[in-house]
Amino acid sequence: MADPQRITDVELERGLRDLGPRYPYPPTPNLASRVRGRITVQPVAPSRRLELWRDPRRLALVAAVLLVLLGAAALANPATRDAIAHFFHVRGVIVSREASPLPSFSPVTPLNLGRRTTLADAQSRVKFSIAVPDELGAPEAVYVVSDVPGGEVALAYTPRPGIPLVKQTGLGVLISEFRGDLIPGFITKSLGEGTTAQEVSVEGDPGWWITGEPHMVVVQVDGQDRPETLRMAANTLIWEHAGVTYRIESGLSKADAFRIAAGLP
Amino acid sequence: MEGRPLDDIALVERAKNGDVNAYEALVQHYQELAFRVAYQVTGNAADAEDAAQEAFVNAYYALGRFRAGAPFKPWLCRIVANEARNRRTSAQRRTVLAERASVAQSSGDSAQSPEAAAEADAFRSTLVATLRTLREDDRLILAYRLFFDLSEAEMAEALNVPRGTVKSRLSRALSRLRAALPADIRMPSAAGDHDG
Repeated sequence: MADPQRITDVELERGLRDLGPRYPYPPTPNLASRVRGRITVQPVAPSRRLELWRDPRRLALVAAVLLVLLGAAALANPATRDAIAHFFHVRGVIVSREASPLPSFSPVTPLNLGRRTTLADAQSRVKFSIAVPDELGAPEAVYVVSDVPGGEVALAYTPRPGIPLVKQTGLGVLISEFRGDLIPGFITKSLGEGTTAQEVSVEGDPGWWITGEPHMVVVQVDGQDRPETLRMAANTLIWEHAGVTYRIESGLSKADAFRIAAGLP
Repeated sequence: MEGRPLDDIALVERAKNGDVNAYEALVQHYQELAFRVAYQVTGNAADAEDAAQEAFVNAYYALGRFRAGAPFKPWLCRIVANEARNRRTSAQRRTVLAERASVAQSSGDSAQSPEAAAEADAFRSTLVATLRTLREDDRLILAYRLFFDLSEAEMAEALNVPRGTVKSRLSRALSRLRAALPADIRMPSAAGDHDG
């Protein structure tokens, strides 16, 4: 027989419910900002890799892009330089028009921006003066790539009022800076039918404003594609000043992108 | 709190598309629950904090596999508990868990006499100390139901067990807690009188 004095399950449940709000937990730490710091610039990416080689249509397009990249290598030859110069308005960047539709990538593929670091550390590893736009202030995250000539830096800004989220990057604004004069075929931008590329002047320096449908970006070093740097990009303003190529990718209008550019030295 | 799951669904969908603000809002809302679930497993604040933080980061990267429209809360609990278990194993090697059974004082219960309040506090302290002696899965199922108010369906998801077994597991955990309590413990007259 049960001990009539003994506590029952019902009573015990009641006692536990009463205990719940008084349980001696340590204070809850503020995790939100720390978690955000760790996820900021690595947007949710589908785990599958780009399976280019299984899709003949994509393979053909990649081959077309590679041909453009080979064209960049040919720049070393003065005889061919003039023939492709119009693609090469900004040093470090090739803008090409694709006749066939671009492959459809997932909206967000890994950005591979390099190693996350501080602005001071990035500055010590690149051979140019890193410019931070007045308009945006200090970036939420800084990335550096040291193994390209002159180095490359990426400044990442999260969305905020007035700066919409860009699906392709998971960010608000992404700024890249590198020595376009040292790495001529570094970035290739392939435009499909729905994308326009306009030659522009940024504070007197030559540039491109690329807008409309997202375009394809390939980053290449020493004739080799960097792994998984084939992705779709949003509105981009890209220009060169004193040997450094600057690139602002965002969902902002042309006027807003130019305002940010004007705040860069 | 009404309508929270709808908020969650919208926030999860936005986070899936890379909206870090939406995910931050989810973390903000669930960080206390996550930390407390982790603490129930680890019994140690530093490990619980690590586990909860890691769980939120892992959950973010797993959002692509999260079924659209599914409830976020039990899914998160499951990830948190797994992370906490990983840490508990190493933590237990370092130290023997020592729970300070100092429950929040019931000074606000003005209707109680000082004797009744002291009796209720002593009872709660005994409960806390005894809970810590239970198996982790017993402690977790009791906490899910009675501290964190998960429904049976949510508990099944959080514990990754069929829904039909939740009730029996809960009942067994309660029996084991009762058996582990000191033989002379009695329900204090005041405890639980205020719940609605």
